[in-house]
Amino acid sequence: MPVTAPEPVVPAPPVVPAMQVDHVSRWYGNVVAVNDVSFALGPGITGLLGPNGAGKSTLLHLLAGLLAPSAGSVRVGGRTAFGDPGVYSVVGLVPEREAVPGYLTGRQFVRSNAELQSVPDVGTATDTAIATVEMTDAADRPIRTYSKGMRQRMKVAAALVHEPRILLLDEPFNGMDPRQRLHMMELLRRMAADGRAILFSSHILEEVERLAEAVLVVYAGRLAASGDFRSIRRLMTDRPHRFTIRSSDDRGLAAALLANPAVFGVELLDGRLAVQASDLGAFARIVAPIARGAGIRLHELTPTDDTLESVFSYLVRR
Amino acid sequence: MRPFSTLIELTLRALVGRRRTVLIALLAWLPVLLGILVRVGGGRPDASQILDALVIRTVCPLVALVVGTGVIGSEIEDGTLIFQLVKPVPRWLTAAAKALVAAFLTAILIVPPVAVTGLLLGGLGPESIQTSVGFAVATLIGGTAYAVGFTALGVITSRALIVGLGYTLIWEGILAGILEGTRFLSVRQATLGVASTLTGRDVGSDPLGIGVSIVILAAVIVGGFGVTSARLRRFQLRTAD
Amino acid sequence: MTAPAAPGPVGGAATGSIYDLGYRGYDGPRSGRPVVVRALLRQSLQEAYGIGRGGRAKVAPFLLLIFNAVPAMLAVGISAFLNQAGGSEVLEQGIPIRHDTYWSLTSTFVMLFCAAQAPELFGRDQRYGVLPLYFSRVLTRVDYALARVGGLFIAIFIVALLPHLILTIGAVLGAPDPVAGLQEELPEIPSYLAMTLIGSAVFAGVSSVVASYTPRRAYAVAGIIALFIVPPIVIGIIAALSVPDIAKVLLLASPSDVVDGVNGAIYGPLRIGSETFQIATLPGWVYVVTALAYVAGSLAIVLRRYLTVTV
Repeated sequence: MPVTAPEPVVPAPPVVPAMQVDHVSRWYGNVVAVNDVSFALGPGITGLLGPNGAGKSTLLHLLAGLLAPSAGSVRVGGRTAFGDPGVYSVVGLVPEREAVPGYLTGRQFVRSNAELQSVPDVGTATDTAIATVEMTDAADRPIRTYSKGMRQRMKVAAALVHEPRILLLDEPFNGMDPRQRLHMMELLRRMAADGRAILFSSHILEEVERLAEAVLVVYAGRLAASGDFRSIRRLMTDRPHRFTIRSSDDRGLAAALLANPAVFGVELLDGRLAVQASDLGAFARIVAPIARGAGIRLHELTPTDDTLESVFSYLVRR
Repeated sequence: MRPFSTLIELTLRALVGRRRTVLIALLAWLPVLLGILVRVGGGRPDASQILDALVIRTVCPLVALVVGTGVIGSEIEDGTLIFQLVKPVPRWLTAAAKALVAAFLTAILIVPPVAVTGLLLGGLGPESIQTSVGFAVATLIGGTAYAVGFTALGVITSRALIVGLGYTLIWEGILAGILEGTRFLSVRQATLGVASTLTGRDVGSDPLGIGVSIVILAAVIVGGFGVTSARLRRFQLRTAD
Repeated sequence: MTAPAAPGPVGGAATGSIYDLGYRGYDGPRSGRPVVVRALLRQSLQEAYGIGRGGRAKVAPFLLLIFNAVPAMLAVGISAFLNQAGGSEVLEQGIPIRHDTYWSLTSTFVMLFCAAQAPELFGRDQRYGVLPLYFSRVLTRVDYALARVGGLFIAIFIVALLPHLILTIGAVLGAPDPVAGLQEELPEIPSYLAMTLIGSAVFAGVSSVVASYTPRRAYAVAGIIALFIVPPIVIGIIAALSVPDIAKVLLLASPSDVVDGVNGAIYGPLRIGSETFQIATLPGWVYVVTALAYVAGSLAIVLRRYLTVTV
């Protein structure tokens, strides 16, 4: 009977060299663009959200080593981002404003990036990267003939060609049509599933809400909040949670709910009941028993402000 | 060494075949055109006068200026340099590739016309050959010094073209002629010094000796490369405009 | 997750309405074209000196303005000093910094000013695509072009005129009797006014042509400088070596030489020390006419550019 060789021990997936941002500030004379920002970037997709002028691009350039921090440090696996080109073997950057050289073809551009990264098999890596962004047909045309979305995709291909562990994207969905955006989101999700750390910036809430697992909210150069946005929402204790309920007897339910200390506001609207609860957990526990006790059937219970938008508007108004 | 050759290829592609390079190539061949015109007109002129006035004083620094500011300066301006910098390549290597392309392209553009003009004007006798070769070598080294120097200028300031023109026209053109001590701070004077020694006769008024000239040109080349490396190592994105 | 309930209008089907936020059109009197053109002219002049654009933009123009005036300031200073020491007659012969020699001494600075600032005036609007904003107003394309060229011309004129004013004022204040000094200086004024007006106009025109056709700054700068300094060298070589006749005519193709010729037409051959300089011997009026042709031609070309450029 043949003896099967023992299963080889599968090595654990390599630890992502986390990006460690430590009290980073950047100022230009009297203007503070980034103000004492600290966070750690881990595997998965993180969205950098903020209005225009909040310092998103500046922060991204600091992370990418293209700006020197006026204070604090940005470290990738122990090396500082600024002044150490070696970090770029594990970091990929998709800049927003920088122009792609129009006189090269897409393929030449991606290929040159692969060569500069000393990728072992330049040809395969180039073809793979181009195929990943679905630009194979147009790859041999000069970049100056591309549309804006196509240039964007080429930039992404160039940033992916060395399979970086950390990928930084500055407003990557600018200029993309919905189909391209969906495809790009799918691509980023796949890469995150591989264990990469992906950070993208945006000022469009829907994009961040749909794609990001964790969010960094910046406003006026400061980090207003970080983490999963639902847990951020739970942390906003000085603001009541709002729900909308449809039931068989709104008025009766309203009276019953008001008797409970977890509820401090009830509004009768046409066909619905708007409820403000101070304590999410307590409310969740009491709403069903109260309804049953009053003999009222609940048809629908919806949190009305558990969205990134409400979180965001709360945070920027503080 | 793969990244080095890639950088050279990228930089060459950015310059060759672009309009500015074509125009400056035309300028570089202007002395030849002039030489042809002069011969056709029946003159038998002193070649070194043309080569001195036109080439060393004008064509050489101008060509080196356009090429030198083109290798890094214009790439900073249009934003394409970023893609070359966010790579695990030591910055001095990038600086070396850029400086090399600048020097090489400048030499390719100006040295052949110099040799051709010299032979055109002076015939093929041994003295003319010595003159032509002497000027060609001087232009080669001087052009390299200019090119590397202007490359460094392109990293330092976004108005490198005007500053370079100011240096060439004001400093080298006017001041270094007036103030005796500043002759040592002029690439032009050093180039003229090399030309004088190699061609065996004085080019320009009271030219510098060969030793001093070589030292000056070497200092510019090494210093320019050093400045380019240092500035690239600490490169930061500029705010708009 | 169901969509969050949006606050809807009370009572039934959704309707739309537009709310009056208080915006009003302006029906009152408007300033009209002349005011707009003057404003653009003033703004062009300011832009030519980097005023209103931050410190770095002022470095080149002001530095060149000052450099151009330095010889005049030196001359005035030295002559004042020597007057004190009693050697003013010697001075007259020695220093070649006078009204008639000034342009050819320092025209390099004026050229650099043109090369540095003309691209700013003409290139930036084209590069940033703001021409439609200008042309959708009461300002016509012709107005725009003329205002821009006018602004550049005035800026250059200031650079060229300042040293002459310094020399004049210096001569008046330094003379033993200011009134007599003034009377002595007065005849000089029309000459150098004419000279600087024509010189500035030619330089402004030629720079405007190059700058308006090349929005990219580097090309415009290089083009303007090449246009000024390469032809004189070429012509000088041709003249010195073997074909002076061709050189005389070719001279007219070089803007800086034409302006030098105008200088010669106004002042006659220049005396510097014991030598006289004159590069070619066409009659003076030829240069003046050519200079005016340059100005008219440049204006026409710039107008054509802005009448036909697609925005």
